[in-house]
Amino acid sequence: MRVLRAAGQVLFVVILVVIAREMYLNATFAIGSAGRELSYTYLDSRAGFAIKEHIVGYSSNQPLYKAFLVGATNAMLVGAAGIVMATVLGVLIGVARLSPNWMVRKIALVYVEVFRNTPLLVQVIFWYVAVILAIPRIEDSVSVFGLAFVSNRGAALPAIRSGADFGTWSLFALAALLVAAIVWRWRTRVHERTGGPHYRWLSSLAVMAVLAAAGYVIVGDAFKVELPELIAHGYSGGLQMSPEFAGILVALVFYTAAFIGEIVRGSILAVSKGQKEAAQALGLSPGQQLRLVVLPQAMRTAIPPINNQYLNLWKNTSLAFAVGFPDLINISTTMVNQAGHALETFSLVVGTYLGTSLLISFGMNIVNRAVALRGGTA
Amino acid sequence: MSGAGPKGPRLGLGLSEDVDLLRFEQQAREAEAAPGPAPATPGEWIRQNLFSGPVNALLTLASGTFVLFVAYQILSFVFVSAQWEVVQVGMRGYMIGGFPVDEAWRVWASAYLVIVLAGLSYGVSARGLRPSAGQAAVGAVVVAVAGAIVFFTAQTALVRALTAGVAPAVFAGALVGRLLGRKILKPLVVAWVLVFPAIMIVVRGFDGVPPSEWEGFFFNIIAATVGIVASFPLGLLLALGRRSELPAVRVASVGFIELFRGVPLVAWLIFSKFVVDLVLPPQMVIPDIVKAFVAMTFFSAAYVGEIVRGGLQGVPAGQYEAARALGLSTTRMMALIVLPQALRSTIPAMISHFISLFKDTSLFVAIEVTDLLAAARRSASSLQYFGRDMETLLFAGLIFWVVAFSMSRWSQRLEVRLGVGRR
Repeated sequence: MRVLRAAGQVLFVVILVVIAREMYLNATFAIGSAGRELSYTYLDSRAGFAIKEHIVGYSSNQPLYKAFLVGATNAMLVGAAGIVMATVLGVLIGVARLSPNWMVRKIALVYVEVFRNTPLLVQVIFWYVAVILAIPRIEDSVSVFGLAFVSNRGAALPAIRSGADFGTWSLFALAALLVAAIVWRWRTRVHERTGGPHYRWLSSLAVMAVLAAAGYVIVGDAFKVELPELIAHGYSGGLQMSPEFAGILVALVFYTAAFIGEIVRGSILAVSKGQKEAAQALGLSPGQQLRLVVLPQAMRTAIPPINNQYLNLWKNTSLAFAVGFPDLINISTTMVNQAGHALETFSLVVGTYLGTSLLISFGMNIVNRAVALRGGTA
Repeated sequence: MSGAGPKGPRLGLGLSEDVDLLRFEQQAREAEAAPGPAPATPGEWIRQNLFSGPVNALLTLASGTFVLFVAYQILSFVFVSAQWEVVQVGMRGYMIGGFPVDEAWRVWASAYLVIVLAGLSYGVSARGLRPSAGQAAVGAVVVAVAGAIVFFTAQTALVRALTAGVAPAVFAGALVGRLLGRKILKPLVVAWVLVFPAIMIVVRGFDGVPPSEWEGFFFNIIAATVGIVASFPLGLLLALGRRSELPAVRVASVGFIELFRGVPLVAWLIFSKFVVDLVLPPQMVIPDIVKAFVAMTFFSAAYVGEIVRGGLQGVPAGQYEAARALGLSTTRMMALIVLPQALRSTIPAMISHFISLFKDTSLFVAIEVTDLLAAARRSASSLQYFGRDMETLLFAGLIFWVVAFSMSRWSQRLEVRLGVGRR
């Protein structure tokens, strides 16, 4: 029996290897007969196409791998911003689903049922075409006290840019962080010894702010605030957000928040009733009950499924193709159209998504371990 | 298959906790079902639920204003500023796209096949599976609205008659089902199994229509069905493979699952169109749409595999041991004892996954398939109806929503009926 199993496994592996080899040979043959070769060296050749938005420097004269990098970082920017915003909105929705207020409860319910049961692609296109492109044109740009502008060419917000002496200031900032941590520990100790209020958030943040501000005054040119300006048919300076970016981001946030909201609601309900009653008996206000007793415990059960939603959100950034935002899929399709090498390019895409999904899981596992029940001591 | 250790070694990247979400939802519903003290009068109810304190009153006022604002916006758009002509003209395109008009009877025949079967099943189903009066009312309103839209946008009298005929067909089916009762349960199950092959024959057979011409909402339905039907057995195999005690099988299953789950479906669809041909033997020519269906099936199977694994982990070790003690072989133990229990507990997660698969069929636009959404967008870019995106998108969204929402409600009832997680 044992021999049979071993033989079966060997056979299984051999079949897999043979199939893989066959595929590789087919690919090299097909690519070879087209007069090319299977290699990644093409990534060093000139890209030759422009990309409208990039957070790493890019021009069409730069090599293809740079273009790929632009796509990856663009997608990651959407993913990171989306994860943060969807979490905030999702927790709000989850709490609203359990509000004692009937009206709030029902609004949250309708929200969840609408956004959860419609394809994300419909929502992406809806936000982009029907909402964002429908807001005032650039000529009638909405100005928020001259600090920020909104139009269908995108939004421009004031940006904070590092000044000439930013490096020196960052030393002050580091010191401020260190002192704040010491203050935090001191307040915690005091609280543990005397049982008095700890004010550790307040005091450590205040210390940090004061030190950082002092550093700013001493150093001088640490930051400057750059205000956006309205120029002909566009904005200059400031932090600019294109309509495409806004469309995919808003859609991802609203869609994912509906799922996160349901997870949060479920985990809050999974916290045993006695916990809330005990908090009530201690005289905590409803807000305190939620913040100090219920939510921290709910977080424990919520983290694994929320991790899944983060992964989904990250994978769903690929829907940016529908609005023409230069994400990984968009750029790599352009690359294949311009330079060929479909197999190599798309294998890179698969590798990148797989690697980043793994990273997110890894990060969430650390968070999960940090909040998990520790036997006895917690 | 090691019976004693249902947990198995934790291989893989830990990308998988889908089942949890459903468990929470279920707990949530149970907790909500717990009856509280009922308020005596409507006035009392309003005070308790809307104005129990200053904060609450403020919330009510703010959210009430918000609701009025949104309702006003929606109603004024739907009844005043929207021009629904674009939907009326585009209706056939939305439903079947470029499917040859002369062959449209094939789609109608398939639709009626499913509708009558659904009616019969509804009539036969036990009381617990039937919706409550309130749910039925909501469902009836939704269906009536959708029906009215299709009815009024239908361009020919024949289409109008066929649309109007849906309601009597369901009703007749339900009546017959009620009369015959549970006697036809087994034939009904067989019919459901055979309905997909039957539709394939109706659509493709007798000089039928090739898959490349399946478009519109018809495509979404077919693609979702193919994905569900094909990925379920494959996912089952993957789940069993992942828990196999043969390392080679286990590693291969984990690799397959994590690879296909870790990358978005859009990427796989594009991959199937541009790359797969390169690694296949040159003499092997597969239509793009078939390759895309295979890609979707692999993607979905990875999820199904994880869901089934969750179910398998929930089967107590004692069940394995008892089956062993009875002298069952591994195959019989899995088929008769373990899988039935594991699969029942995964029904909610499975349906939820199939709903997302249905929604994801809109992604085929990435490889230039004209599904419902693509047809809707196209109709808003024609010269005559340029810029009527809001109308077309709302309509396409509504159709997707009706299907997805009713599937999720049905799954909730099924869950209650089967007592998932309570036995």
